[in-house]
Amino acid sequence: MSWKLNNLISLATYKKATVLILSVVFFFALSASEASAQKKFSKTYPASKNIRLQLTNRTGTITVQGWNRDEVRIEANLDKPIAKIIPKNKSGLIYVNVVQDNQGRDEVGDVNFNIYVPYSSSIDIETRIGNLNVSNVQGGFVRAHITSEGDITLTNIGSSGISAKNVIGDIFYDGLIQPNSKYIFTSTQGNINIRIPLESNFNLVATAPSTRNIDTGPFNNKTMKYFGTGRRLVAKFGDGSADVTATNQQGTISFLRR
Amino acid sequence: MNCEKSQNLISEYIDGELDAETCAGLKTHFAVCADCAKLHEDFASILNFCDETFFEDSLPPNPQALWCRINNIIETEVKPELAEVEKVQEIKAQPGWLTRLWASQLQFSTSQILTGFFGIALISSLLTVVGVKNFSGAADGLSENDLQPTVFEKVLAKLGVADTPEQRIERQLNERKKAIDYWKKRVEARRVRWDTDTRRTFDRNLNVIEKSVNEYTDILQEDPQDQISNEMLDAALNDKMELLREFSEL
Repeated sequence: MSWKLNNLISLATYKKATVLILSVVFFFALSASEASAQKKFSKTYPASKNIRLQLTNRTGTITVQGWNRDEVRIEANLDKPIAKIIPKNKSGLIYVNVVQDNQGRDEVGDVNFNIYVPYSSSIDIETRIGNLNVSNVQGGFVRAHITSEGDITLTNIGSSGISAKNVIGDIFYDGLIQPNSKYIFTSTQGNINIRIPLESNFNLVATAPSTRNIDTGPFNNKTMKYFGTGRRLVAKFGDGSADVTATNQQGTISFLRR
Repeated sequence: MNCEKSQNLISEYIDGELDAETCAGLKTHFAVCADCAKLHEDFASILNFCDETFFEDSLPPNPQALWCRINNIIETEVKPELAEVEKVQEIKAQPGWLTRLWASQLQFSTSQILTGFFGIALISSLLTVVGVKNFSGAADGLSENDLQPTVFEKVLAKLGVADTPEQRIERQLNERKKAIDYWKKRVEARRVRWDTDTRRTFDRNLNVIEKSVNEYTDILQEDPQDQISNEMLDAALNDKMELLREFSEL
């Protein structure tokens, strides 16, 4: 009787152990499967100092950072279904177009780029959905456009031309205002924050028609004039050698001292 | 001397204008010709009578006094009339404004000429700037009246050669709407293949843009000349078209 009882107890323990082991195996197998669903891409190109990066993404975040090397390094994390990426290195141009490379496919996973470029590069990046981040560049220009929603963050920028545009999302610019340059910030719904040195020289046209919320912060002088019952602010700071145009259809515009 | 020559010389003979030889010849003829002698006597007596009667009747008793009276009459009665006549003549004789301007220009100093030159240059420059601004369209967004038609545009619009500003805006909006309709159809055909997140994101963004489009359309219906709303509507329609076009590629 006791033998039978002992056998039954050991059988139950054995079953429990088996279930536990199978669960652990299943968990690790699943984890391994999930890990394999994300693919990494990495490639480095030799580049001149004035290289131009042109990148068009479908969905995902793009982060571009300037570095002190004469080469461009493209790293990407690709979610399933894995997107095709076919970078092209033409003379003075690194070209990546995820939309074009995956034309005709029904579903394509997010592609999150992390790209390093020489400090003096020009950057032209856009995505249909996702965030755009650019930092530490001082080249010819930075163009960062989001077709729909996502935040645009441009930090420590010394480029002589900026164009940042989205529909829903915030735009933050932290950098210099170079003479004889154009800076254009456009959003439909979000907040535009511009952080620049107080001694910057520029002509400003800021338009916020719905909110009429244009905060120039420490930037104040007698040239400031409001038009259209406060919907537009026009002003000249310093010698006005650069042009800053900020338009936010349904959001706010703020200036901060750098 | 014959009778004909004698009769032609009778007047000069009486006035004593003939030389001695001719006078002697006439006297000889009068002595032999009774008709010519008679004519000489008649003629001489008429002239003598006239000379005596004219001087006695024509000369005033006091010529000096007569001239004084005449002068007084002229000054009191005739002079005002003459003054009026002179005035009229002066008005008629006055030169036209162009003649006066030309005449006065001749008296300009060098500084006046230089000032005039710079004035003309300044006015020409201003007119050029205004003309260029009118024809190049609004760029800086500083003026509230940029949508106001220029005189040239108004004339063309009245002649039916060009659109009025309202017609132009309406035409542009119609063109934009056609393009938007095209891309909408493309998106409708593609969106069934999108995942749920993409569909939701697209709809959310399209709604945000359409909110702006409706807002500015309402404002412009009340005030078609509102420049900021015109610009914003244009930008919002561009954003809408861009959203449709770029999502139709997904």
